[in-house]
Amino acid sequence: MEEYIRQFSEKAGALLRNLPTVEIAKAMNILQAAFERDGRIYVIGNGGSLALATHWVADFNKTVFSHNLSDQQRRFQAIRLPTTEEELTAWANDVGYDMVFAGPLQNYIQECDVLIAISSSGNSESIIRAVDLARSHQVPVIGISGFDGGRLNALADAKVLVATPKGEYELVEGVHAVILHLFTKYFKDYFGYIQQAREHMAREQSTPARAAGRAAAN
Amino acid sequence: MRISFVGGGTDLPDFYSKYPGRVISTSIDKFIFIAINHAPFTNHVAARYSVSEEVPHPSQLKHSRIREALLGLGIESNIEIASFAPIPARSGLGSSSSFSVALLKGLHAYIGKRLDKKTVAELACRLEIELLKEPIGKQDQYAAAFGGFNVLQFNADGLVDVEPVLLDYKKRMDFEAHLLLFFLGTTRDAASVLTEQKANTARNFESLKRMSDSVPVFRDAILHSDFRSAGQMLHDGWMMKKQLASLVSNPAIDALYDAALSRGAWGGKILGAGAGGCLLMLAPVEKRAAVLEGLKKAAVAGGFEGAGEIPVTFVQTGAEVLFNSSGL
Repeated sequence: MEEYIRQFSEKAGALLRNLPTVEIAKAMNILQAAFERDGRIYVIGNGGSLALATHWVADFNKTVFSHNLSDQQRRFQAIRLPTTEEELTAWANDVGYDMVFAGPLQNYIQECDVLIAISSSGNSESIIRAVDLARSHQVPVIGISGFDGGRLNALADAKVLVATPKGEYELVEGVHAVILHLFTKYFKDYFGYIQQAREHMAREQSTPARAAGRAAAN
Repeated sequence: MRISFVGGGTDLPDFYSKYPGRVISTSIDKFIFIAINHAPFTNHVAARYSVSEEVPHPSQLKHSRIREALLGLGIESNIEIASFAPIPARSGLGSSSSFSVALLKGLHAYIGKRLDKKTVAELACRLEIELLKEPIGKQDQYAAAFGGFNVLQFNADGLVDVEPVLLDYKKRMDFEAHLLLFFLGTTRDAASVLTEQKANTARNFESLKRMSDSVPVFRDAILHSDFRSAGQMLHDGWMMKKQLASLVSNPAIDALYDAALSRGAWGGKILGAGAGGCLLMLAPVEKRAAVLEGLKKAAVAGGFEGAGEIPVTFVQTGAEVLFNSSGL
């Protein structure tokens, strides 16, 4: 039993040690750009990936600003699609399962938005339909995939691939959860840093960047 | 708009057709906004910027970029275009190409076409360089279309590679804290400097080559938060640039620059094609206030009216359609 546990954790550890850092950095720059222009971030996934999407939305919309939630007027606008089970089942039942994400996405999408698509295989037709819609609107796509990345990895602007043998859902989804938490942690630290800088700024009448520079220097 | 650090001038075809041109730049939180309105009950074309034009046909517009963009797309009437900018034109922050990129992105959206970053950058280059024969390079159009902190490489085949410089928020804000952007108040015409610079490209080939090669070195200095070296490189680049064209600097600008150095700045440069616009300085955080004070005094002494600091932060976003009422 312990040997089995060790083998699993070895594999998970190897994946974590080899995270696609450049692509994750690109993804975070895409999220930063969406924040700057007050765009929305749509998140989609099937099964466990939908659970990851929902969990991430809760963290990202609230926890990122937990240090000064009441002062923060501009916040992230992350939205899990579809937003209700009723919409999901209506699209699946009336139109076809392939449209459960692209259908609701069409209601919201604007050019200044971002799409995060989570799919272990990277080949779910429902996911690809939404990615195609986003691309036709020039909306950047953060693709979070596993196995060989599939079509999602090929189409995405930020190609966040957790490469494993086919079928390793447990490892892939586990590492996806870590990456999504990394997104949250990065922006939480970032806005916390600005908050600290504001306190210096109040004393020194400067910009947040300069005050942060001084705070870092001290 | 953008701040360009190192490599300006290597984006001219006389250079990059022989050796890869490189520029490192970042977009900043200063934006050109363009509003385009379909006006079905007017039989004119309106262009509203620092002046207001209303003409029966776009070919009669004085604003060359709007005129050529409309003619190129076959839009002949019933349209109003207005632009808004936070900083006067010709400030050296790439605003004229930001304007072209935003205009082309917006006009294409107006006729139901969504342009990707690369296409809009190429179309803006075509408009400004091929159609209007402006003697400018390609860095500003790409900086405006893509947004973010990038190394741009200009290849002999005309293609441009955009390689992001991946700075985390701490490094980015630390870098911002060491930067000082000082608006000189006087405006300049990039074309006259660049025409001379372009004519001198052959003579200055070795200098430009060194500038292009110093781009990855500057990038690495920033990635390692070595702002002193970066400041020294700006200084070396500025000294080289002053040799490229006689109009790049003048005694009044040199006096400002020297005032900044004497107050402890590491180095800097004039942004854009030179001869006015903005002075960009890198300085230790603790010397920043003194450098600014020195610049303000020198600006008054040099007769720069309306000069002053422009606070900036770097941004990731490039040209975007923020609102499209047609729903196309």
